[in-house]
Amino acid sequence: MIELDGVHKSFGTLEVLHDVTLNVPAGSVTVILGPSGSGKSTLLRCINHLEKVDRGRVRVDGELIGYRRVGNKLHELSERHILKQRARIGFVFQTFNLFPHMTALENVREAGGGIELLDRVGLAGKAHAYPRQLSGGQQQRVAIARALGREPKLILFDEPTSALDPELVGEVLDVMRDLARAGTTMIVVTHEIGFAREVADTIVFLDEGRIVEQGPPSEVLDRPRHERTRAFLSKVLV
Amino acid sequence: MSLLSSARAAVGRPSSSEHPPPDDLVVVPARHPWRWIAAAAVLIVVVQFLHGLITNPGWEWSTFIGYFFERSVMDALLITLQLTFAGAVLGFAGGIVLAPMRLSKNPVLRTTSWTFIWVFRSVPLIVQLLFWANLGYLYDRLQIGVPFGPGFFSFETSTLVSAFGAALLGLALHEAAYAAEIVRAGILSVDSRQLEAAAALGIPRLRQFRRILLPQAMRAILPNAANELVNLLKSTSVVYVLAIGELFYQVQVIYGRNGRVVPLLLVATVWYVILTAALSILQHYVERRYSRGFVR
Repeated sequence: MIELDGVHKSFGTLEVLHDVTLNVPAGSVTVILGPSGSGKSTLLRCINHLEKVDRGRVRVDGELIGYRRVGNKLHELSERHILKQRARIGFVFQTFNLFPHMTALENVREAGGGIELLDRVGLAGKAHAYPRQLSGGQQQRVAIARALGREPKLILFDEPTSALDPELVGEVLDVMRDLARAGTTMIVVTHEIGFAREVADTIVFLDEGRIVEQGPPSEVLDRPRHERTRAFLSKVLV
Repeated sequence: MSLLSSARAAVGRPSSSEHPPPDDLVVVPARHPWRWIAAAAVLIVVVQFLHGLITNPGWEWSTFIGYFFERSVMDALLITLQLTFAGAVLGFAGGIVLAPMRLSKNPVLRTTSWTFIWVFRSVPLIVQLLFWANLGYLYDRLQIGVPFGPGFFSFETSTLVSAFGAALLGLALHEAAYAAEIVRAGILSVDSRQLEAAAALGIPRLRQFRRILLPQAMRAILPNAANELVNLLKSTSVVYVLAIGELFYQVQVIYGRNGRVVPLLLVATVWYVILTAALSILQHYVERRYSRGFVR
């Protein structure tokens, strides 16, 4: 359902993604692991065209993201079209990025959702609270409800629990687990190895902008084939 | 540190008989004698000033009261308010257009906006007003039509740009340049991640500006805008050079006739103070409206 084909991305002279090719079937959960600066976030941001790819293609449901092919040329889409494409791809940020001047419910409504989505993340009771009145974990759950407002085909999570106090991580992972169980297609950048092992169908290990290896958790986490994967896991699994 | 450790030591030995249990210790706040001395010194100066206001016959309070609600002063006050209101509306309308222009990716829009702001912030208001009033010397006729081509409507400059029109034009352009910078500062104050979140949700550009950006920018815009509005209110007094009967011009006319300079300047002063106070109260309520979600 999501196909990345030979994606390259550089910031100036720094190559952040090198020839990334990845297939994510509908209804599956893919977890991207990798050390800091390995290009995980950039990869996610390329999928919804928050970053433009330099080379390669990104397709969601067969539709080219950010470009339109005419003959042998790729024409960059107008911002209006890109915004329309993005509406079907949910994005959950590390720093939540709720709109602070709107209540939880207004945030969800801004994305076209309603109280039932707050109910789904267990926060119907906080509908009229402002983001500043909520804990980090609650804010992230509202942000997930907001992302669901567009009825996305796919949700991208960019380190959704990294900005949270340890005791608040669980409630956010619970919501994500529920989404996975309901068959939502998800790509998750995270350092929560336990969550990855339990929920992921595929684990992708990224290092220096390249996919080093990918496969089911039982392979990548328990029997990593590459030295770099082993080195990373030995640091994370302490 | 030594205080802390000795306190801990005391708690550690509750059986110690020389000291009463910690609960019975009375806290004595530190004394601040200099606060009292400074307050007394300032109060003496204030009281002396107030005494002078009341007892000095030069203020001519009876003359002041006689003119404060006088008909011609009221009419002048209305003109001052009209100039302030129209100048603010036109100025901020211009600012809301100029600020996004200056932040635009389009170099023509960016440079035009930058130049406009540069020019109209550089020229003193009084010089600009005289320029507009003398526009007829530069262009005796103004016309609307095809650029560099034929015109459809044509007006005599002197009929189109009256003294009041020239004053309004000058105030509006001057104000627009300042308002543009105030609005730009507001836009820049909003966390860029807010727009990224809006973009990720696929919210259309205009809606992003109206629903996400502007309400948050307003928090930074409002205090500066209120400041600028108060400035504008006072700047309308400069318009006296065009012989427009606003507040300051009118009191000058009256004291030119009767020679009572000080009480009439006081009339204008007190009205400016009252209007500024009214604006400050308005500011308070508008700021409260836009602080939604920012106070716990």
